[in-house]
Amino acid sequence: MNVLAFAWRSLIRQPARSILGILGVAAVGALLFDMLLLSEGLVLSMRDLLDRLGYDVRVMSTDSIPRPGPDLADAAPTAAQIAKLPSVRTVVTVRTEAAHLVREGVSVRAALVGISGRPRPWTVLRGRDIAGAGDVVINDSAARALQASPGTTITLSAFCSRDDAAPPPRRLRVAGVAEFPFDTPDNAGAGLDAADLAEACAQSAEAADYLLVTSAGDPERAAADIAALRPDLLVLSNEQALGQLQQRGFTYFRQISTVLTAVTVSFALLLITVLLTVSVNQRLGEVAALRALGFSQRRVVLDVLCESALIIGIGGVLSLPLGALLAAWLDAILKQMPGLPAALHFFVFRPDALVVHAGLLAATAILAAAYPMRIVARLPIASTLRNEVIS
Amino acid sequence: MKPFLFVLALLLSLTASFLGAQAPEPPSILVTRQLAEREGLAVGDLVRLAADARGERARTFRIAGTYEPTPNPLRLGLVPREVRLHLPDLLALTRDPDTPAGTERVSSVNVALVDPAEARRFAQDVNARTPGVFARRAAGAAGMGSIFVVLERFHYAIAAVTIAAATVFLLALTIMLVDERRETVGVLRLIGLPARRILVQVLLEGLFIAAAGALFGLALAAAAEGLINRFFQWRYDTALVFVRVTPRVAALSVAIAVPLGAVATVAASWALLRRRALRLARR
Repeated sequence: MNVLAFAWRSLIRQPARSILGILGVAAVGALLFDMLLLSEGLVLSMRDLLDRLGYDVRVMSTDSIPRPGPDLADAAPTAAQIAKLPSVRTVVTVRTEAAHLVREGVSVRAALVGISGRPRPWTVLRGRDIAGAGDVVINDSAARALQASPGTTITLSAFCSRDDAAPPPRRLRVAGVAEFPFDTPDNAGAGLDAADLAEACAQSAEAADYLLVTSAGDPERAAADIAALRPDLLVLSNEQALGQLQQRGFTYFRQISTVLTAVTVSFALLLITVLLTVSVNQRLGEVAALRALGFSQRRVVLDVLCESALIIGIGGVLSLPLGALLAAWLDAILKQMPGLPAALHFFVFRPDALVVHAGLLAATAILAAAYPMRIVARLPIASTLRNEVIS
Repeated sequence: MKPFLFVLALLLSLTASFLGAQAPEPPSILVTRQLAEREGLAVGDLVRLAADARGERARTFRIAGTYEPTPNPLRLGLVPREVRLHLPDLLALTRDPDTPAGTERVSSVNVALVDPAEARRFAQDVNARTPGVFARRAAGAAGMGSIFVVLERFHYAIAAVTIAAATVFLLALTIMLVDERRETVGVLRLIGLPARRILVQVLLEGLFIAAAGALFGLALAAAAEGLINRFFQWRYDTALVFVRVTPRVAALSVAIAVPLGAVATVAASWALLRRRALRLARR
């Protein structure tokens, strides 16, 4: 009988303790798996959101990521300058404001995005995209609240709080219902032409919150060219923006994940070591008998190692679906934070997390078996058998 | 004084004595400790502040002191480059040239009530009487309350999973330990001790061990508290407290750990005590 089969028989001979050990490893392994997903989850999710926008580079007044900072007063001429760079394909100006959308006496507060060109930072779900002045796309939440659909007319009252003026309400036609990547759950949102939004705010169309740039293929080159053209502005490629976010808001969850990973692995190591040690101590007579029957020292040591590997291996495999369920639960808890985009996730699967998970569990199996293996390796056969008979 | 985050050029003055001779004493400001450290600012220094990136209409101020900004978990990792000015100085600095003095806007007004318990009713009253003004209680106004609640739920969820895993391991361990004492229990039964008496003994043992484990865990947590706080405060350059072992947390831990340990011991022993004494003693 090979070592693995022998170890398997040792496990099934004591099913209660084996099942409990495996379940314990599964629970700890699930937590470990989730912490590995958490360590990079926000960054991966944010990268996905940024990529979905269709822009490579953003140009802002200050380094106040994720918020764009003060307005760019000369956004339109700056965009025209940038658009002439050979490394740049398109440039759009973006303005964000808050407003009330009103239809048939129902009013909802909405986040507005005004954009000067294409590509648009939204995906049309129903109807069509805005075609020009007077068109607006709204998200599902706004459509539900206003009971609006493509073709209906709504009134927009912007409160762009830069001065005391109250701009007159503007009537807009709902061209379509769209999904905005940075929509927060249950918050109404709308997108329209930047000039329309400026008019709704009774402000200059020259200004914008920031610029979004699509490169001709090399975002870093485009960012460098724009920075050279306008050194007074902050220019960030998506990767650079993610780097800033990693150093700032996202670092908390990475640190938490590191701490909990370390604690989880230590916990599993300690408990498996204790389980195996107690188990081996209870079977010293049996091990000595096997040695007396001709089992080599290497063979009985490998038996202990295989037992450890089986407990952790089976527990580790079970931990993956358990971890996926747990991740969904924890993600739902964390996403209750106010102001988070609905499409942002804290726990995102990546293949290398699986590799690290397997590596950590394998290392735990070997380390946890080290002490009991030592006990078995140094077991004095004759005296152990004698003690067994006397007791 | 009013906190104000600047976007702007912050320039050290040429010499304090020169300006002192040319102009009246400039108004005083406070700067955050982090900003002072980053920019090499010291109490008494003269700095120029402007409301735009080009530094137009900059004015000179004297640093009266540094302060530790209120820790904000939402801005963890950001260097708080903040300055506090007297409100009239801030309005003068940010006022549009066309705006007459005294007609400026402020973003909010803080109100201290004689009876703070009346805050909710006061806010409702203001909202009803003054359209265009939005009043709310200061507690939770920054929107951080819900973030802490969410983080607390997250940590509770992690704790629940940890407890579940620990319980399973504990059961496995106690089953093994009880099994190890099978013969002893068999002999005790043979010499006349009833199963209930042995169960009480096992329960007491479990309670002692669980209590000792819980106390050791609390001591470990108390020791780790300082280390974790110091590490994260250094890492994020903040006064935020990340871990605090409060009496409530300690009591909750003990309240979970001790009964859990005792129940696990009894549950593991129960099956053993139901067996015949002779079988337990292997006779």
